[in-house]
Amino acid sequence: MTSRGPAFLRDRPPSLPRRAGIGRGRFILLMLLPATALLVGLTIIPFLVSLGFSFTNYSLVTPDETAGIWLRNYRQLVASEEFWSALRVTLIFTTCAVAIQLGLGVAIAVLLHHETRAVPALRLLYLLPLAITPVAAVFTFRMMFNPTLGVFNFLLKEVGLPAQDWLGTPGMALFSILIVDTWQWTPFMLLIAIGGLAALDEEPLEAAAMDGAGPWQVFRHHTLPMLFPYLVVAVVFRAIDAFKTFDIIFVLTGGGPGIATRTLNLLAYKQGIEFLSLGYAAAIAIVMLIVTIVASQALLRKVGLFKPKAIL
Amino acid sequence: MTARPFLRPISGWTRLARALAPWGRRLILWLFALWCLFPIYWLITMSLKLQVDAMARRPRFVFWPVWDNFAAVLQSAEVWGYLMNSTIVASGATALGLLLGVPTAYVLSRYRFKGAADFGFWILSTRMTPPVAMLIPFFILYVRTGLIDSYLGLIIAHVALNISIIVWLMKGFFDDLPPELEEAAFMDGATYFQAFRHIALPVTLPGIGAVAILSFLFSWNEFLFTLVLADDIRTAPVGLYSFVGYQSVNWGQLSASAVMMLAPVMAFVFVFQKQLVRGLTNGAVK
Amino acid sequence: MTRLLFPPSGGLHLPITRRGMLRASAILAGAGLLSAKGAPLWAQDVYAEFEPLWKAAAIDWTRHSGTTIQIGALSHPWTDAMMPLLPHFTRLTGIEVNLTPQSETEYVAEMPVKLGAGNATPDVYMVWALGQAIEAGWLAPLDEMEANPDISDPAWYDAADVFNSGRSFEKWSDGVTYTRAITAEAQTMFYNQTMLDGAGLAIPATMDELHAAAVALKSDDVAGIVLRAKATGDAAAWPAGGWVFSHGGAIIDPASGAVGLTSAGTVAGVDSYARLLRDAGPVGVGNYHWMECLNDFMAGAAAIGGDSSNFASDIANPEKSTVVGQVSYGALPSAAGLPAKPNMWHWTAGINANSTNKEAAYLFLSWATSKPTSALAAAAGLATSRASAWGTSAFGDRFGAQAASAALANLTAADGDLFKAAWFHPKAPQILDAFAIGVNEAVTATKDAATAMADAAAKLDGQL
Repeated sequence: MTSRGPAFLRDRPPSLPRRAGIGRGRFILLMLLPATALLVGLTIIPFLVSLGFSFTNYSLVTPDETAGIWLRNYRQLVASEEFWSALRVTLIFTTCAVAIQLGLGVAIAVLLHHETRAVPALRLLYLLPLAITPVAAVFTFRMMFNPTLGVFNFLLKEVGLPAQDWLGTPGMALFSILIVDTWQWTPFMLLIAIGGLAALDEEPLEAAAMDGAGPWQVFRHHTLPMLFPYLVVAVVFRAIDAFKTFDIIFVLTGGGPGIATRTLNLLAYKQGIEFLSLGYAAAIAIVMLIVTIVASQALLRKVGLFKPKAIL
Repeated sequence: MTARPFLRPISGWTRLARALAPWGRRLILWLFALWCLFPIYWLITMSLKLQVDAMARRPRFVFWPVWDNFAAVLQSAEVWGYLMNSTIVASGATALGLLLGVPTAYVLSRYRFKGAADFGFWILSTRMTPPVAMLIPFFILYVRTGLIDSYLGLIIAHVALNISIIVWLMKGFFDDLPPELEEAAFMDGATYFQAFRHIALPVTLPGIGAVAILSFLFSWNEFLFTLVLADDIRTAPVGLYSFVGYQSVNWGQLSASAVMMLAPVMAFVFVFQKQLVRGLTNGAVK
Repeated sequence: MTRLLFPPSGGLHLPITRRGMLRASAILAGAGLLSAKGAPLWAQDVYAEFEPLWKAAAIDWTRHSGTTIQIGALSHPWTDAMMPLLPHFTRLTGIEVNLTPQSETEYVAEMPVKLGAGNATPDVYMVWALGQAIEAGWLAPLDEMEANPDISDPAWYDAADVFNSGRSFEKWSDGVTYTRAITAEAQTMFYNQTMLDGAGLAIPATMDELHAAAVALKSDDVAGIVLRAKATGDAAAWPAGGWVFSHGGAIIDPASGAVGLTSAGTVAGVDSYARLLRDAGPVGVGNYHWMECLNDFMAGAAAIGGDSSNFASDIANPEKSTVVGQVSYGALPSAAGLPAKPNMWHWTAGINANSTNKEAAYLFLSWATSKPTSALAAAAGLATSRASAWGTSAFGDRFGAQAASAALANLTAADGDLFKAAWFHPKAPQILDAFAIGVNEAVTATKDAATAMADAAAKLDGQL
């Protein structure tokens, strides 16, 4: 684009009025309308129905006995030990998962950003965990974690280390699930961080390096703050998804041993699909929603991500 | 790029560290790549072995490949069906998602209006509800509107699930755009829409590429809703699960099919990656 | 219908394209999938041979010619056996059948959504939680149709041929018949005979002998015994149930309907199960489901196993198992002078209460569980619900004669009432879930058996 203005406007006589076309308000409306319509139809209505269910004792086994019981589901939930255990497991899992994936993803992204050889090949390899169908990957991990026949213990034994009970003891089981989740989702953080790094303005970084700052200081005081907005979005989304993690836990441990890896989502599945107590399951889901909303509101307001960067 | 001032002497250790740094970096990067690759490699080896060998106590890393599983899977009309369905649904969902999401992101980024913050958060919140709670309402809604078991129905559902990521990530890319460009265009008499289409969009193309890849991947791997909302249309995740029988897992064909499903995904990623790189090397926001 | 050229999931392999027939004949001959005359099961010759047997019924088979029915089924040996036989049904009755199997996880997740929403399809479906289904009103009663002479011929059907336990599954406690049994399996012990002989041990007859044998056979490389212990209602509950029943306990007391988890017999049973696995089980047994148990046994990493009789076909398959020909099957050992009561299971299929093709569906159910069809399916190795089918030589060849006799013995020894009280309870999923968690806690030594069962009972306290 040259200083004469964009190409498509070059032939325009300068005397034309300032803004042809639709007004500001209508432009905003038009741009927002399609997405909003879709989301209202597909998320608000089901959400309201779910909310409604949570105030009843609706069970697919006894649909005729459905009655409004208002907050009784919630009271029962708060009083049950398994709810608090599930909440604890979910929070531990989510925090650890997001922290590890953030650290690892950003670290690899920075290294990749400075790398010069075979970068496309590396990028393609890094995307494999996201590209492979999860069911195949998780079943593969289940076999690899097998204490007697799995390749992980085989490799450990070859090196002389003791075989681990990857999925059978409470602490170890959560750790193993974290491994699989990290394997699968670090590329997500990686991709966003790379995109952010690529969009960064190099000048301030070069200036800082010229002034004698070491690479770590450049990173910490200049790169990271500029990357911040991207990383926050990535963290929020990853946290939302990690909170809802289901497939990995379901296939690997089914919530066991005991209830050591039973997260809130798994609890909701058990109550809703296995026990068919839809009212109770809906209550669990609403509680999960509330926790997520409160946490993300707090985070996003603190970071100030809501203020539009430009006022047009 | 980095020029050291002449005045400060460099110690021998620093010189050594500087020389080795690229190789250290390379080592870490390739170790991470190995870590990403290993389970996939294992999956591929399982697809080339008979089950008795795949489960062997001493796993064999070097072996004579058995092609039966791939033969079965490549000749199976059903598996090709899964592939085709997944490609249709994921491509459609990505296209529609971008079509609806990018304008939304642009407006959220650029234009202040009443309730903008709440609207943005509401978009985010559409991703928060656990699917289990929404299954039955969604199912009934789909049956009533006749969207059940249709490509359009699946595409719409996937867009509803993934649009929040598209909007928020694109918002980030738009936020990085200095407003001067568009303001200049306005001075020259451009309409809002022209500014969007001819200024903002081209510059954020690499971002759109990245978001397209992510959206495609999310849609490709979506399982629960696709399971419930479509009977005859089975996508890859749903279809592959059929190899998990009742008290028997057909490892050979499961892994062979999974490998087969990788191909279009990697192709899609490869295509958009080129876009990404082209945009980046031309200078994103300079 | 699937158009796979090569076989789908494990157990029974039935290619059904005409293109592959010649090549397949050789495979089929080995797999015992040929009828007496040597033709593949779906062939015209077979139909010609069996048609008179079906037509012998005083039923108007073609009454609903032209309709189409949907079958809901999961990937299962029954489904594998039925699919090539479906063309025969269509030839016989003119009714088109659509059957697409799903994995158990998908099936159990998707069916409640469909049935709960009052869908008219599937018309016939495999029932995974009978008490739940009946309580929810998802099954149509069969009695009226059974009494209709146009579509039902009791003399030809010969219900006495169906196993007693199977028939007890079909009739519900309110006297109404809701389903038909389609398979039969019993908890059976598998012994790696080579390892037993090597250690000079005989097949254990009591629980104490079993414990001793398992401990003796345990080594660094090989687990003495492998049993399910994963903490989900579909994993640990079934095998542990057999132990509980054999020690005189009950999960739900059949007489009173009360939770029987804290009774002395139950605690003794769980304790015996847990001690076996703690002392002689493999590392990580706390997460073992059928898949891990079976894989370990077939890879020679476990000396003894105890699970469904259906695994006999996989164990005898050289493409999956390294212990082919080395395995003996046996009865569940007895405990403390009490009769052994192995667990058992019959898959059942019923008609959707909202189906618009109930009579056509009933014709299908009758046909699928009839003597001739069962014989055909048994020739493919399916463990059907009929004694006559189990008795055919084709079944014996395919399933394994010793495996078949062991399974049969266990099936007859099983106590249907104890099983039904728990598994057919309307809240069965909750009960089995709590029970399984308790068993798992005992196995991993997190709690002792008494505390684990007490906690499980407490959990169920308010819920039933």
